[in-house]
Order: sequence, then C-alpha cells, then structure tokens
Amino acid sequence: MAWEYSEKTKQLFMDAVHGKPGTHLGEIENPDGFGEHGSLACGDAIRFTFQVQRHPTDPTQDVITAARYLTFGCTSAIAASEALCTLIERGRFTPIQALRVQNKDIVTFLGGLPEQKIHCSVMGAEALEAAVFNWAQRRGVDLDKLGIDLHADEKAEGRIVCKCFSLSEPYIRRKIKELNLRTIPEITNAIKAGGACMACHHVPGGLQDLLDEVWKDGGQQRQLPILTQVALPPRTAASEPPQGEPALSPYQFAKKLEKAIDEQVRPMLRADGGDVEIVDIKDCLVYCRLAGACQGCHNANQTLKLMIERVLKETVDERVRVIEV
Amino acid sequence: MSLIYLDNNATTQVAPEVFQAMVPFFHEDYFNPSSMYEPARRTAGALAEARRQAAAHFGLADAKQILFTSCASESNNMAILGTAKANPHRRHIVTTAVEHPAVLEVCKDLQRSGYRVTFLGVDRHGNLDLGEFVRALDADTLLVTIMHANNETGVIFPIPQLSRIVKETDPAIIFHTDATQSVGKVPIDLEREYPHVDLLSFSGHKLHAPKGVGVLYLKRGAACRPLLIGGHQEEGRRAGTENVPYIVGLAKALELSQAAFEDEQTRVRRLRDRLERELQARIPNVQVNGQGAPRLPNTLNISCHYVEGEGMLYQLSDFGICASSGSACTSGSLEPSHVLRALGVPFTAVHGSIRFSFSRYNTDADVDRVIEVFPQIVANLRRLSPYWDQEKDCPRPDADALIQPS
Repeated sequence: MAWEYSEKTKQLFMDAVHGKPGTHLGEIENPDGFGEHGSLACGDAIRFTFQVQRHPTDPTQDVITAARYLTFGCTSAIAASEALCTLIERGRFTPIQALRVQNKDIVTFLGGLPEQKIHCSVMGAEALEAAVFNWAQRRGVDLDKLGIDLHADEKAEGRIVCKCFSLSEPYIRRKIKELNLRTIPEITNAIKAGGACMACHHVPGGLQDLLDEVWKDGGQQRQLPILTQVALPPRTAASEPPQGEPALSPYQFAKKLEKAIDEQVRPMLRADGGDVEIVDIKDCLVYCRLAGACQGCHNANQTLKLMIERVLKETVDERVRVIEV
Repeated sequence: MSLIYLDNNATTQVAPEVFQAMVPFFHEDYFNPSSMYEPARRTAGALAEARRQAAAHFGLADAKQILFTSCASESNNMAILGTAKANPHRRHIVTTAVEHPAVLEVCKDLQRSGYRVTFLGVDRHGNLDLGEFVRALDADTLLVTIMHANNETGVIFPIPQLSRIVKETDPAIIFHTDATQSVGKVPIDLEREYPHVDLLSFSGHKLHAPKGVGVLYLKRGAACRPLLIGGHQEEGRRAGTENVPYIVGLAKALELSQAAFEDEQTRVRRLRDRLERELQARIPNVQVNGQGAPRLPNTLNISCHYVEGEGMLYQLSDFGICASSGSACTSGSLEPSHVLRALGVPFTAVHGSIRFSFSRYNTDADVDRVIEVFPQIVANLRRLSPYWDQEKDCPRPDADALIQPS
C-alpha cells in the first residue's frame, strides 16, 4: 500500500538519498549535543547531533549552528529528520529555544503526514530532546533549575506497557497528554505503542486504562455507537437536498427504496432468473436477500450487491449501503 | 462386555498419541516456562511450538492470537464478560436460545446487572431466522455471541455469514462464537473463511485431548479485557502458570484431527447416517431433531415419543452402550433440554430424546449393536407407557392431550 506523501516529503527524501548539497545527512564529530530515539527492533531509529557556537560566559546563550541526522526508517522518517534539522538551523536557536520545535511543526513543514506516519515526526522531536539533555550535561546547564523537564528518567524507571516497541507507562502517559491522544489508534499512529501484537490494548494497566486515567470522564472520547454514525453519515454537498425540501421520513424512505428496487433492480435481475428481497432497512443500511441466478456464489452476489447499491445510491440516497443476508 | 462409547459430544477419550506427547512434560520437562535457566527455556519452546501448531490449525500466521485457558467455559466467560468490560458504553448483547449454559447463563447474569440481551429463537429444524437476526442488531449492541455447532443436535449455524452481516452493519460490534463442538470435527480456517470472527472458544476434551485445557482465539486488537489477572502469562491476557503438558496435548490433538477430517466427513458420517436411517425404519413414532438443517457429521439426536430418556439410557448402559439424553431426569437440574424446547420439539419428545455422538474411534460394529438392541429398549418402555395403546401398538388417541404440561 502506497502512503500518500506530500510533494515536500517526497522531495526532501529524494534530496537526502541523493546527498544533495544543503541536506543534513550525517553525524557531527565531537558534537555539542547528541540524542537518539527508537531502535532497530522498532523499525526506525534516529541519531541526531548538533554543534553550537559557544557563548564565552553563559552556556544557555549557545547558538546551534549545525544539525545532522542519521536515520534508519521509511521515507517519512527521513523527510522528518531533514525537516527537524532545517527548522533548527534556520531558527538560529539556543538549544533551549530549539525545544520549542515540536512534532506539529515538523508535520506542518512537511505539508502534512499520513496518520499512520505521525510517529515519524514524534521520533524527531524525541531525538531533539535527548540531544538537548546531552548538551546540558556537557555544558553544565541545570535544566531542572531552569524549570525544564526533559523526562530523561521515564524510560529507565517506568513499567513497560508496550513490549513490542519497549515504551514505558510514564512516556505513553505524557504523550497522551502532550499530543491530545484520545483513542488507541491515535496512540499507535503517534508513538507506535500497541501497533504490533496489540496485546497491551485492553489488559489491566494497558493503553485503554491509561487513556481512561489521563482523560478521566470529562475528556473521554470513547468509541461512540457506530451504527448510527455509519448508517447516517453527514450529507455531503452533492447529496444535500434542494433548499426547502424536507427530509424523507423513514416510511417515505422505505417506499422510495422499494420503488427503485421494483422499477430498476428487479427487471435486471429477473432477466437472468434472479430476484432480490428486502429483509430489513436500518437507517441507510439495506439488508437484501438475493435469490435465483447465482445462489451460493459469493463472488457473483458481491457483484450484484454492488450493482444494487449503485442504483440505490443514485436514485434514493448516496448514503445507502447494501448488506447481503 | 466391551464398551460402546457414543457420547463423544460430552467428552472423548484421550488419543494415545496425545498422551505420549504429554508425558515428558510431567517429569522431565516439568519446568515453569517463565523461568530463565536452560531446561525451562526448552519447556517454553514447547509451549511456543504448541501455540504455533494451534494457530496453524486455524490458518493463523500470528500465534499470539491463541490464548490457552482451562476450558471452553472459561473461554466463553472471558469472551463475554471481557467484551462487556472493554466496551462499557454499550449495553446490548445478541445471542441465541440454544447456546450452551456457559454462554447462556453468563448472558443472563449480565441481564441481571442491567444489560439488554436478545435471545434469538430457532425454527423447528434448528435454523436461525436471518431477518430476526438483522433486526436484533442496534446502535447499542456490543457483542454478538452465537455458537458454531450445537452440542445437542449438531446443527451448524452459518458463522461466516452471520459475522459478516454484523461487521458490515457496525465494525465495532464484537463477534464471538463458541466452537466447542465443531473444532476438530470440521475444518475452520479463521483467516480465510471466518475473517469477521473476533473471538472463538473451544476445549480440548471434545477432540481427544484431556479435560482441563481450552483455547480462546482473540483476534489482534479485539476489545476484550482479561478475566484472570495477576500474571504476565499470555501477554497479561490470562494469568496463571501455563498448563504445559495439557497445552502440548491439545496441540497434538488438533494436529491429529486435521488428519482425520476426511474420515470424519466420510466414514464417521456414514456411521451416523446408517444409525439414523435404521432407527427411523425400525422404530415407530420417532423424529430426528435438527434433520432439516446443516449438521455435524457425528451427531444424531433422535426423539422417541411417549417414553422417557433416562429409562432408555439405563437399558443401553446394561448393554455397555454410552449415550445421553435431553430428558429432565438426566440433566441434574430437572429441566428438560432448552435446546429441544427451542426447536419446538413436543414435551414428550424432549423427554424421550437421545443423543448418539460418534468419534473416529467408532466402528460399524458399534452401529450394528445399537441397531440390534435399541428398538427393543424403546418397545419395552412403551409397554409401560400410559400414553401407549398396548393392543394396537401405537399412541393412544388422547396421548398428546394427556401429556401437555399444565
């Protein structure tokens, strides 16, 4: 399956792999800041290094002059690493200012990322944090005193929740808050947790429990009943009834549906010795039993189903979905 | 007198190969698979291999989806209670009236704590009404739990179709099937044929593994919380030190059943069909329950009107023949079979029902013996029955009226 990358993402990736001048591939020797995130086992990893112009008296006034990365990972991981380095060099930030570069900035710079690839931008931001922490140690800067918490201890101390990607409870908890993650798929997209064996989703102390604890009752956005959502998705502009025309009642909807089936679907099926029976209608879900022609042949029925669905979408409501019973 | 065992839907004998496979794990490789030393790593390896074998039986590449439990009842309890717990915003469950008590009673217990439960009925053949099934699904439905094959009648429900309808209606509804009676008797390729099933339960002892081991198939990511907690085993989804010898035995039994599918579909089916045909020909006033529906190849449930099941079992037992009955007197609860009642089997015929269930260890000689003795057993009881006209050797004209429960 091809990911839908933005032109910017593809361009940055191609530039990097071809070593075009101005790209940031590489590792700075004797760097002032060194940070890593991810691991080979997790499928992607970044090593991020930067160099500063040292301030003669106040290390907090150091300015980052160069940033480089070595990244093992997919197209978007490499593009995100490029984006990170570009953003940091361009800003002429102090390391502490550089912390303001967050995963959303990387996503914006890239012109968006597919949902499943958001974690690539998070990885860059994490490597940056680790490098700043490293710089602070080298330069004797007490980040705590400055009120900056880089959570360097959470990995070492926390209980591992996602074993596949080795992600700890404090880390996942923090990311849920920082990135405003509300569902398990959102967590997986952002930080990969729960994306492989999925065993940690619903165990005690697992991802759902962390979500429930972080958001308590108020902010909770659990899965809502989907039947109504699926059956009655919001109308698109195309299906909007003309101004002033009232919506169909369920009775009228069913009648219109039957009429379409009688007049447009049945004649076609009967020509081939087949027929269709409406078993039930729930909102926009139309349950049909196909008879005659190809009984028992699931593939043929699949074709018929799609044909019926197309007719009903065109003549009754574009939200109609046909389910074969 | 040699034993003729025709109660394989109740339990089965452990296959000799299964027993042999288990033995080393009692005395040589008895280690806890969670321990670190080398011998324990071997035990852990055997456990992993058993899990892989069990997964392969169902066409699954990812073996982590197989959870080992203590029995099918545990698997069913976890499937239902765990799903309810993981989806607290929904409060409706759909099941059928003919489930095993390990599903039925768990659903009724949830009903007591405020859940809505729809118990779908069946027609006189044992089939579900698909229209009724569709109507039962609503926006509050969290779980559909429907058995694959019925333990009493052997009737098979169309699980691939039912689960597909559920998921096309709403992918958030969890679909569970209790496949205790079908696993090992019919092939089940979960990835290809049953892609919409989230949870599937069964036990080992119905397919020539020992009692005390079961499986819950838990599809990756299915929202179901554990029942037993307090251990890291099974990735935290089922605590408790793994029952390694039994798990190894279960894996072996699955492998053997795979090789025996053809025998089950041909020779075993012929045994059952011959018994069915002959009993219907030789005994008046009988009906075969579930005859008009797709059925397991090994199960025959036959009702002899105007006689009582326990009396038949008792006499059969005198001949060394083991079977079972849906009669109240044999159930322990003094309630006649809820399954046969759901099929609309008349009261008298429920009490006079008898189930013969075969395995690959049965032979033509077993069938011959039952055909030889069973008609007389029924005749003996009818001679005592107040509903039977002794002179004309047929039911009394008022029999059905006399029998109606008040």
